[in-house]
Amino acid sequence: MTSEPTAKRSTLNARIERIFDHTSDTRSLFLSLTSGKHLRFAPGQFISITIPLGDETRSRPYSIASSPEDRGPFEICFNRVKGGRGVEWLFERRVGDTFDFSGPFGTFTLAPDLDSEQGFIAEGTAIAPIRPMLKQAVASTPSSTIHLIYAAPDRDHIQYPGELDALARSAPNFSYEAVIMPADRIYDRLAEMAQTRWIAADADRSRHFYICGVGKGVIRLRDLLRDAGYERRAVRYEQW
Amino acid sequence: MQALRLRPNWDGFPVATQRIISKTTLTPMAKLRIQFENGDPEKVIEFDPAKAPFHHDGEPGSILDVMLGHGIHLEHACGGNCACTTCHVIVKQGFNKLGEASEQEEDLLDKAPGLTPTSRLGCQAVVEDPNAEIVVVIPRYTINQVSEAAEE
Repeated sequence: MTSEPTAKRSTLNARIERIFDHTSDTRSLFLSLTSGKHLRFAPGQFISITIPLGDETRSRPYSIASSPEDRGPFEICFNRVKGGRGVEWLFERRVGDTFDFSGPFGTFTLAPDLDSEQGFIAEGTAIAPIRPMLKQAVASTPSSTIHLIYAAPDRDHIQYPGELDALARSAPNFSYEAVIMPADRIYDRLAEMAQTRWIAADADRSRHFYICGVGKGVIRLRDLLRDAGYERRAVRYEQW
Repeated sequence: MQALRLRPNWDGFPVATQRIISKTTLTPMAKLRIQFENGDPEKVIEFDPAKAPFHHDGEPGSILDVMLGHGIHLEHACGGNCACTTCHVIVKQGFNKLGEASEQEEDLLDKAPGLTPTSRLGCQAVVEDPNAEIVVVIPRYTINQVSEAAEE
């Protein structure tokens, strides 16, 4: 049965300006609005792309990996997943192609006016929303300590390594560590590191956290931190 | 189709007749009544929760799944993955007939505009009772709904 919207969905139209392959299975698209205007969004938000599959369309979310301040084309980043028809469609797009999307959407954004320590945890392409959030946090809260734990199954799948290195050198309040682990053990290791760094190390429970990843491991990290005494609203997460 | 909730006495009915009657009139049917705050006409869906999923987005048997599977649009920007609040619905009747909200759903609802004590995410609120009568209102506004304000 086909879906007949009761109200017309408002959409924007994007053109692919540039394609960048991080690895053979991980790609970024740099998009501009065909209207000539700029997309207004908050770091951490996503767009919902209208993807034609057969005789129907589906909406699929893709986090914005660039910062609003970049002002040029905005970036989405994604990787191939088994059976992911939507992402295969995206891999088939070429420079100059256009497609519809709606958004931005999402409430996985920085808490306002923070001066407490902030911990970020990301896995693989889930660095996409974390990347602009980090930049915003570093720029807007220079007095707070910011640490990123970023995991991937191999060194090639650590994205933006040069940029993260540069940020760590230029911003004394920012540090990060890359974790290389087999995919089935990534969340075990992330939980161990969170336990050591943010739970066992001291009794400070004023930190704020931002976690983004795939699957139930994200929920496990959420529960670990909340059960250790961090406030519910201080542990923000996005699970894909 | 009117839902019948009592199993009749089949004594004396041929098996073939039992099958035909069962298929046509005796399947438990839940009812979902959808009201739109923007003034769109009310819609009513009768369905068998045991036949879920009806579509491919949201939890099988969820309000989103039922609506999409019966040709009624409900926004779900994240693809029905419990990652946004665009499928926010307000349950006016039958709240206790829905599966319990997870902590993840509660965390998201926390940020939904127009939150009420009976708010749910359509992609997560599963109709479990085959005889449930649910009434939901689709709010006029959802958070971060796309608009001209997205361009500058």
